[in-house]
Amino acid sequence: MKQKIYWRITAAIAVLLILLTFTPLVIAPGKTDPKLFSMPYTLWTSILITIALVVLTYIGGRVHLNDDNDD
Amino acid sequence: MLHWLIIVGTIYVAILFFLSWRSRKKIKSNEDFMMAGSNVGLVLGFMTFAATLFSTFTLMGMPDFSRTHGVGAWIFLAFSDAGMVFLIVWFGYHLRKQVAKSGFKGMSGLLQNRYQNKWAGYIYFLAVFIFLVPYVAIQIRGVAIFLEQAFPSALPAWAWSLMIVVIMLLYSEFGGLKAIIYADFMQGTMLLIVVWVIALTCLNHIGGWTEMFSQVENTDPKLLSTPGPNSLLSAQFLIASFLAILMIPVTQPQLSTRLVIMKSTKKMHRMAVAVGTFAMLVIFPTIIIGLYGAIKYADASTADFLGNVLIRDQVEFIAAAAIIGLFAAAMSTSDSQLFALGNELRGLLGHKGSDSLAPIRIAIISFAIAALVFSLVSSDQLVLLARTSFAGTAMMGPLVILAILSKKPQGWFMILMSGLGLAAFVLSEAGVLPKFLGTVRMDLFLMIVLAVCGMGNYLLKK
Repeated sequence: MKQKIYWRITAAIAVLLILLTFTPLVIAPGKTDPKLFSMPYTLWTSILITIALVVLTYIGGRVHLNDDNDD
Repeated sequence: MLHWLIIVGTIYVAILFFLSWRSRKKIKSNEDFMMAGSNVGLVLGFMTFAATLFSTFTLMGMPDFSRTHGVGAWIFLAFSDAGMVFLIVWFGYHLRKQVAKSGFKGMSGLLQNRYQNKWAGYIYFLAVFIFLVPYVAIQIRGVAIFLEQAFPSALPAWAWSLMIVVIMLLYSEFGGLKAIIYADFMQGTMLLIVVWVIALTCLNHIGGWTEMFSQVENTDPKLLSTPGPNSLLSAQFLIASFLAILMIPVTQPQLSTRLVIMKSTKKMHRMAVAVGTFAMLVIFPTIIIGLYGAIKYADASTADFLGNVLIRDQVEFIAAAAIIGLFAAAMSTSDSQLFALGNELRGLLGHKGSDSLAPIRIAIISFAIAALVFSLVSSDQLVLLARTSFAGTAMMGPLVILAILSKKPQGWFMILMSGLGLAAFVLSEAGVLPKFLGTVRMDLFLMIVLAVCGMGNYLLKK
């Protein structure tokens, strides 16, 4: 049961990050500042979100049901 | 450079056939040939998934795409791939659960079984045939045209295409899915190394990381944000692309098969993380190559840009490796797609384990010939054609997900709606129906309608 809740929280965070990416918070037309390591705003924010999604995939894989703890 | 090409090419082809011969020795049944014994470990599983996913459009299309449309190319592909690997955790588990109950001879067969309706499999097969054969064709064509321009006095484009198809068919028909998986491992590794070496060379030419962004800003500041200089990468385009890419493992059989053949769900979950990491590592250098192109070859044609950046700006050995890398990228995706089409046909024909595989082998060869013919007439817009392929097969997403999640047959409604959705998408791409409904893209509209229909169907038939 606990695992199910953890999975739902992980999925909710992933969906939230995905939705955020398609808002002007990440894809603001013409916005290049602030820069990070010389990278324009849209690039570095989307790279960070992509990394976060892969980390969430790792966490999701740990808390999601699998062959060993099938329901 | 030709001598390097001959050396690297010979080594590459020799390894391919060695791996194919090794795989053949381990084949004891039809199941081993078609499904690699459904016992693939983490490393092989991740490399075969990654190599199948990243085709020529990664090494040729993405640099050109980011040269033209700027840094939003990262969201278009890398971010969408990260969403896709997250979906694998959930979808892969449910798919494997169904397969454990009813077996797997392709998604078409599984759909027929789950819906208790032959048409579910036919519609699915039609969709993957319509959109996978052209996808295979554009990869072959992309590499063939590139090689024709790089070596104008060597061979015409059709001869390069023929060479790719023949090599691909020989090793996959000889060694089955396991040979393809081993070849994918080698091809994926090669793709990663080549793309990074080229990107680092580009950075070196341009004067470093900071200098690159500063020069791009001077050349065209619109490249540094969305929607890019041609306004292509709008929120709507990126959302529709995201949904299309998200559905790839659900609707493209070469990737669904790779979820099924993993040794365990745990290993499949780890494989998803590895593919997500690999996606970032492969796509990031293509953005660098693209931005380098935007500075140095802003007005050059696609062919000239690729010829310069992949061959003429590189030392000879790297240029030769890049050419073989392109060959490898084209073959690693195409062979898997053709093989998956064969497996889908096997499911539709109700093929038994003891039956001869000869008709399936002949079908795979026929699909390859169809792709070869199509490659002689298709367009050169690699990324956009690949995206069309993803969006086309994505129309089957709700049909597949409904079948996987439901506990009993779900009736004919979603089969009909998916067929209509597919027809509407094809007609829209052919210019018979509009590409926009008001301000909404047709592909996005169809995906939303089908998802709502699937959800409604699920709730009503629960």
